[in-house]
Amino acid sequence: MRFTLFAAMLLVACGPLTGCSRSLSTRDVGEFIDKADDAARKRFAPDICALRGKDFTLHVNFQGHEKRIAPTELEMSRKLFCREAGEFSKLQQYRLERKSIDIRLATDRKTASVKAQYVETMPYYEPGTVPQTPYDFFDWQIVESLDESVVGVEDGELVFLSTRSDASQTLVPKNQITLPWD
Amino acid sequence: MRALAGPAMLLVIVGGFAISRMTSTEKAPSREFTELELAGADDDHTGSCYSLSTVLIANRAYNNASRTWTKPRDDAWTLLLDAVVQGHGGPVRWFQEFTFEKHAEQVRLVHVKASENLDSGLEHNIDELLEAPKTLQSTPVDRCLAPGATGYLFVPRR
Repeated sequence: MRFTLFAAMLLVACGPLTGCSRSLSTRDVGEFIDKADDAARKRFAPDICALRGKDFTLHVNFQGHEKRIAPTELEMSRKLFCREAGEFSKLQQYRLERKSIDIRLATDRKTASVKAQYVETMPYYEPGTVPQTPYDFFDWQIVESLDESVVGVEDGELVFLSTRSDASQTLVPKNQITLPWD
Repeated sequence: MRALAGPAMLLVIVGGFAISRMTSTEKAPSREFTELELAGADDDHTGSCYSLSTVLIANRAYNNASRTWTKPRDDAWTLLLDAVVQGHGGPVRWFQEFTFEKHAEQVRLVHVKASENLDSGLEHNIDELLEAPKTLQSTPVDRCLAPGATGYLFVPRR
């Protein structure tokens, strides 16, 4: 009886430690990125947010479609990122394609850096306008980005620790692309 | 020995709770702080007739921004409103940071930090914050409920 109790206590005490000492594999990280991409495709903010670490930061360099205007640069905390993920759920037409992925494990296998190229297609609502319906747009925006992320283990789960994204936007007339509603 | 197990467990739970309460930091100002009257932008700091909480609730426009309270020092709180807005060049960060400080029965706006394109002047920001409760005819603080009560930019309800 005493031994069972001792074993159970030991198991509880070691639980969090196994999370900290978890050794990553390329396969784990690949599956994690697939999961993150699926969450983005569903545009369900809680799922997107749950994959970001407590101190997650996103740094974005964004070249808008008007190339004469210099790119914008912004840094988002996890809190702000999660808020924006909520806004993202308002989109009813969205496509995310991953074009490439390169995973490199750190020598201690505690973290990994992931470089991935994406192409996103979604409606372009003119800044400063308030669309009355989701149809109120004239162009699709195609955003090509190169994301460099660091992933690692937090509370026993794989999460994004940080992401740097270099993105470039082009516009395509509405009638040239058909995207399903979902 | 077994008779002591229950009280010992209780002691651990109560002790743990007390330690967590003592070590945890406040995440937002107390009601006592937010119920204080916001001072006006004039030199005399005339009361505006609206409590800080009324002013913040009336400014519902901030609902699109994430709100974070921090405590820079005793009797002062800083509210950070943070959002991402779509500009013609792409997404840009929009933020406003207001530091409020308690002075006797008032709370004063003592510092404003804001995105490049926004005015960070104290007078301008106080007037702007008071615009919403004025327009909505929000409930004033007790001292301004009496007929003939005056306050900074305050227009009594008819």
